[in-house]
Amino acid sequence: MDPVISVKDLTKKYKQTEAVKAINFDVEEGEIFGFLGPNGAGKSTTINMICTMLKPTSGSIMINGYDAKKEKDKVRASIGIIFQENTLDEKLTANENLMLHCRFYGVPKDKRQERIGEVLEIVDLVDERKQRVETFSGGMKRRLEIARGLLHYPKVLFLDEPTVGLDPQTRSHLWEYILKLKEKEGITMFLTTHYLDEAEISDRVAIMDQGEIIALDSPTSLKDQLGGDMIELSTEDNDQALREIDEKVEGADVSVEGDTIHLKVESSDAFISSFIKTLEIPITRLNIRKPTLNDVFLAFTGRKIGDAKE
Amino acid sequence: MEGIFAIWQRDLTKFFRDRARLIGSFSMPILFLLIFGGGMSGSMETMMAGNMPEGAEGFNYVEFVFPGIVAMTLLMTSIFSAMSVIEDKDFGYMKEILVSPISRVSIAIGKMLGAATIATIQGVLLFLLIPFLGLSYSITALLQVIPFMFLLGCALSGLGLLFASLIRSTQGFQLTVQILVMPMIFLSGALFPVSNMPAWMDVIVKINPVTYGVDVMKKLMIEVENIPAAVSEAMGLNITILGQEVTMFAEVLFIAGFAAVLVLFATFSFQRANA
Repeated sequence: MDPVISVKDLTKKYKQTEAVKAINFDVEEGEIFGFLGPNGAGKSTTINMICTMLKPTSGSIMINGYDAKKEKDKVRASIGIIFQENTLDEKLTANENLMLHCRFYGVPKDKRQERIGEVLEIVDLVDERKQRVETFSGGMKRRLEIARGLLHYPKVLFLDEPTVGLDPQTRSHLWEYILKLKEKEGITMFLTTHYLDEAEISDRVAIMDQGEIIALDSPTSLKDQLGGDMIELSTEDNDQALREIDEKVEGADVSVEGDTIHLKVESSDAFISSFIKTLEIPITRLNIRKPTLNDVFLAFTGRKIGDAKE
Repeated sequence: MEGIFAIWQRDLTKFFRDRARLIGSFSMPILFLLIFGGGMSGSMETMMAGNMPEGAEGFNYVEFVFPGIVAMTLLMTSIFSAMSVIEDKDFGYMKEILVSPISRVSIAIGKMLGAATIATIQGVLLFLLIPFLGLSYSITALLQVIPFMFLLGCALSGLGLLFASLIRSTQGFQLTVQILVMPMIFLSGALFPVSNMPAWMDVIVKINPVTYGVDVMKKLMIEVENIPAAVSEAMGLNITILGQEVTMFAEVLFIAGFAAVLVLFATFSFQRANA
């Protein structure tokens, strides 16, 4: 099957700078594609070009088989976008906002009410249908925007920082809705987020830095590339423990930080049970940590995602 | 078409929901009617008497100024309604419109028709004051003038859309419009006749599109064919350009053309916009 988004040699030059430098990637139908990068990496520029809001300097973008440069209307009809900032009309009711969207996207007249009911059901806002958006909480507004983005059955749903500005509880709820959506509708999602733990739900992740894509793979294999797991332990006598590890464990990468011994191993699953039996000194604390996307991000870009680079 | 209608209806719904705006935009023309219609009509008529030929006593200033004030209301409401484009940008809604597959010309037309409809409603509401001002316009005249008011509203909304595409903040928009709107009203013949102006000012009057709008409204409402030529002359209703008298047909055509050109400008600005 052809990829639903196909980006080739996409470039955007401004007078002084090259914001996006000939990037290439495909997004397969039905996957959640995470698009990560520090501020100023060229993420927004890329998304704006894909959404037909910004003209590329060169390169090509195909979405759902349409050329984003030439067939803008077709591309626009194929995508749904949840912007970072609120783009609802707060003076209107939820129903009116959704109805306008149906009309903008040419949803057939006799299908409109039915579809509005359907998407409100997905985001649990059926009872708030007739209420004005200005009375909604931040999380409700977000959910309504997601519902709106789904009304015209887009092939790809773009979620640009969908959880920014929401409290942790609302955030995790929102992800439940998004995952439900993937399972039920099989919709392709293109996701950007600052919260890397949230990007873990992606099937594949692209990391962009300084206008280039520097890594693109599944979160698991990206983390595997970093090599192994981190085991952190404390014992009753760390010096004794170190001697034992030195004698009995082959090929372990050991370091000590304060009263914690760090062991880096290829795979903790195979290692840990025999290791615990081997060690005679009683262990007082044990922590096995898989590398996170944060570690991946740090390894690839040399900085944490929150660090601004304007 | 559906897109145009949706954008138009949204602006109208919001207008009727905003009570403060409804009342506020209605109070200004009433204030002007009080000042010009009540307070100043005596002195204006005395002043005008000097210009009147012998035996022509038919000059009623209130009758003269009322269509002018309706035109002024159209001008202000149209232009300020076009400000909704800037508000939509500020509140993010413009993005929702721009990423949708609606054609850019539909967005421009929808916005123009929305502002023009609101302006026409405001203008027609002023007709309710006619009996209280001691005026009597014929029903046919009033019915004839309403479609023209809508056309004029389109042209002036187009002007508002042009300003809105050039100016990014609502404050800047309000300031610019206020600076521009007042001279456009004063130099249009809306409030007093603009015949016998100094040459340079006459040029401004002639290039001011509001002049022709006001002129057509007055000709229609005062039913100019029923009054002595000398009086209509004194009212400044016989506009000439380079010695040629401007016909009402030409004026209507000009306003329509003006609206069409401006809607193209607005379309272009929506095409460039990446909100």
